[in-house]
Amino acid sequence: MTGTGGLLRFLLRRERAGLPWWLLGATLLVLVQSLQSQKLYGSPEALERLRHTIGGNTAVIAMSGPTRLLGAIGGEVVFEIFAFAAIVVALMNMFLVGRHTRAEEETGRAELIRSARVGRPAPLTAALTLAAVANVAVGALIVAVAVGTGLPAAGSVLFGAAMTAVGLVFAALTAVAAQVFENVRAVYGAVALILGAAYVLRAAGDVGGGALSWLSPIGWGQRTFPYTGDRWWPLLLPLGLSVLLVAAASALLRRRDFGAGLVAARPGRARAARSLRNAYALSWRLQRASLLGWAVGLGLLGVAYGSIADSIEQYIRDNPEVAQFLPGGAADVVDAYLALTVGLSALIAAAYGVTSALRIRAEETSGRAEPLLATATSRLTWLAGQLSVALTGSALALLTFGLGEGAAYGLIISDAGQVPRMAAVALAYLPAVWLVVAVVVLVLGWLPRPSAALAWTGVGYCAVVALFADSFDLPGWSQRASPFAHTPRVPLADPALTPLLVILALTVACLAGGYAGLRRRDIGY
Amino acid sequence: MATSTEAISVAALSKSFGSAKALDGLDLSVATGEVHGFLGPNGSGKTTTIRVLLGLLRPDAGRVRMLDGDPWRDAVALHRRLAYVPGDVTLWPGITGGEVIDLLGRMRGGLDQRRRDELLERFDLDPRKKARAYSKGNRQKVALIAALASDAELLLLDEPTSGLDPLMESVFQECIQQVKRQGRTVLLSSHILAEVEALCDRVSIIRLGRTVESGTLTELRHLTRTSISVETARPLAGIEALTGVHDMVLADHHARFDVDSAELDTVVRRLAPLGVRSLTSTPPTLEEMFLRHYGDDRAAGEKVAS
Repeated sequence: MTGTGGLLRFLLRRERAGLPWWLLGATLLVLVQSLQSQKLYGSPEALERLRHTIGGNTAVIAMSGPTRLLGAIGGEVVFEIFAFAAIVVALMNMFLVGRHTRAEEETGRAELIRSARVGRPAPLTAALTLAAVANVAVGALIVAVAVGTGLPAAGSVLFGAAMTAVGLVFAALTAVAAQVFENVRAVYGAVALILGAAYVLRAAGDVGGGALSWLSPIGWGQRTFPYTGDRWWPLLLPLGLSVLLVAAASALLRRRDFGAGLVAARPGRARAARSLRNAYALSWRLQRASLLGWAVGLGLLGVAYGSIADSIEQYIRDNPEVAQFLPGGAADVVDAYLALTVGLSALIAAAYGVTSALRIRAEETSGRAEPLLATATSRLTWLAGQLSVALTGSALALLTFGLGEGAAYGLIISDAGQVPRMAAVALAYLPAVWLVVAVVVLVLGWLPRPSAALAWTGVGYCAVVALFADSFDLPGWSQRASPFAHTPRVPLADPALTPLLVILALTVACLAGGYAGLRRRDIGY
Repeated sequence: MATSTEAISVAALSKSFGSAKALDGLDLSVATGEVHGFLGPNGSGKTTTIRVLLGLLRPDAGRVRMLDGDPWRDAVALHRRLAYVPGDVTLWPGITGGEVIDLLGRMRGGLDQRRRDELLERFDLDPRKKARAYSKGNRQKVALIAALASDAELLLLDEPTSGLDPLMESVFQECIQQVKRQGRTVLLSSHILAEVEALCDRVSIIRLGRTVESGTLTELRHLTRTSISVETARPLAGIEALTGVHDMVLADHHARFDVDSAELDTVVRRLAPLGVRSLTSTPPTLEEMFLRHYGDDRAAGEKVAS
């Protein structure tokens, strides 16, 4: 244990710029949800109508939680936000513990630390202590926000405590995974898989008899039923499991060599596959896993949105206040809803395209571009190789969203024609997504240093315009620079070809301009 | 004009990054078929020069020719004929060393499978490991094998052995000797002087972005000082005052001093009448030349005097 205190102070210092954002994010989710729920369902009648609408909607239950929570307005907040906030908190714990244990060992930095007067378990103990502090902070912030927005104190304390307990489970789980796997990506993969399973198990349990929810840490947290029963005893499950997992992690740590895991990294190929022969193949090889993740994520989001599309009509009838958030209002409510969700997915696809395009800069500054550009690969081929992933990938992501939403919606209303229809609808937003990516390329060509900041500012601007322009009454001129503002809101609006062609022409111009800049500038500076 | 006997010809090359001047009128001439040592302290502009030769950086001023082409304009065509090893090799963490070697080879226009396997053996590299698991030395081996397995007529090597152990260093030297016998050209930037002395036909020493010395090692030695230790029958008077004599340590009949190689003849003639009992003369090591050019003259003087 020697050195734990010093290490902990060091970790706090290293985390001071990152950790507050995670805490802020989780807190904001609860804050926004609490304000919104109380505004929409504040009255007992509104809550009763909601119980009626949701009680029969398995898709919403699968996404959120057990319906018993809908007995009180505070419970409604827990119903809607607990699972999502728990995912955020779990990821915070995963990255926090993974980053300060296995990642440090992998890079060799831990070797330097361990060579000092520091005990073998000190890095793990310090990381887990930091995670515990972060989880208690999240819990306290949630209590503060819930009480601050007028929810009952007793339920709020349980709400916060349940979140803390769920967070602790994932911190302890990551600690075990960090002993088992040799590299931190495998650690994250394993923990993320368990997190996904926890979400799915509680979804299945909440829709069915409830038994499966008891296999999920998220389910344990929800089944304390804050505000609608206030049971404390289910928290013994996450706390007990955390203790067991931490004991297992320290037992494994005592038995293994520095840098080793229980599962050795599998050796890869001694020779490259025949297809790995140029800049295109390399880019796809490097980005296929992340593209798959984004595409599957957007596809599942599409399924989730699509599965509640049909019930939206009933929901709007019960909750007319919500209609004001939909473009087109209460008429054509399903199409308006579909247009809104596809617009959202287009923003996410644009964010994917930007992360993919920004890899061009990362390749350059890390020095990995240099050996490639020293071969018979021109700058155009190098750029095109990576752009092919950003452009095709964002199209694929958007398409899987459309297919997912169309399939789920079509299944419910028994209309297979929704699948091609929604796929086509999604692709109408593609030119706007591509223009965002093309602007990043333009920036990479001419202003490479601030490219990441500029690119994300662009995405943020488009998101603000798309999400808040109507509710904040932003003036029309301030929205004009966003390609999404010019994209016809299909399927609500009629498709119009001219704006799409103009956006495509601008896209081509930006790509050409970006290449012209890249061709004449220094690489790597 | 560049002729086919000159693989690289650089004249008055300048390059600035903002207000920082990286290259300030650099000259470099590498003959076809020679191994050319490229020496200079950290930050003197070696890597910048190599990046200009690769067409990654655009020169501000000066003339650069490589393999009878313009490195900036004809980059792709020239790259088919050269292989490059960066000083700091970064690889893609999820890709194995074997895959990187094959990929770089194919992107250059093909590699010799037999030589690739032989080099893997000689450098004792496991090609099945993912790049994230390689040490600095192993990452360097990956880049070296990719370069050496090619048929490139010009090799640009930027401190290629800084992470290798002595055993691998000697394997590297054998490989370069082999490349030399095949008549290929090598530009070798290095800090390891024994390596430069063993391999290079000619060297260029640069400092602050400028070439300060260039020639064969013999020529360079001639331009520097020889250390003399002498014992004479008669007292060594007046020697200290001769032109070209430096850092004299005199003890009656015994003296140690350095002499400019150009003045060696005159000094020896003046010593002879004094009755030489013993005389040792040590030509300057590359290390001493290096220190003289790198550090300021005072620092070099202290080193020699100590």
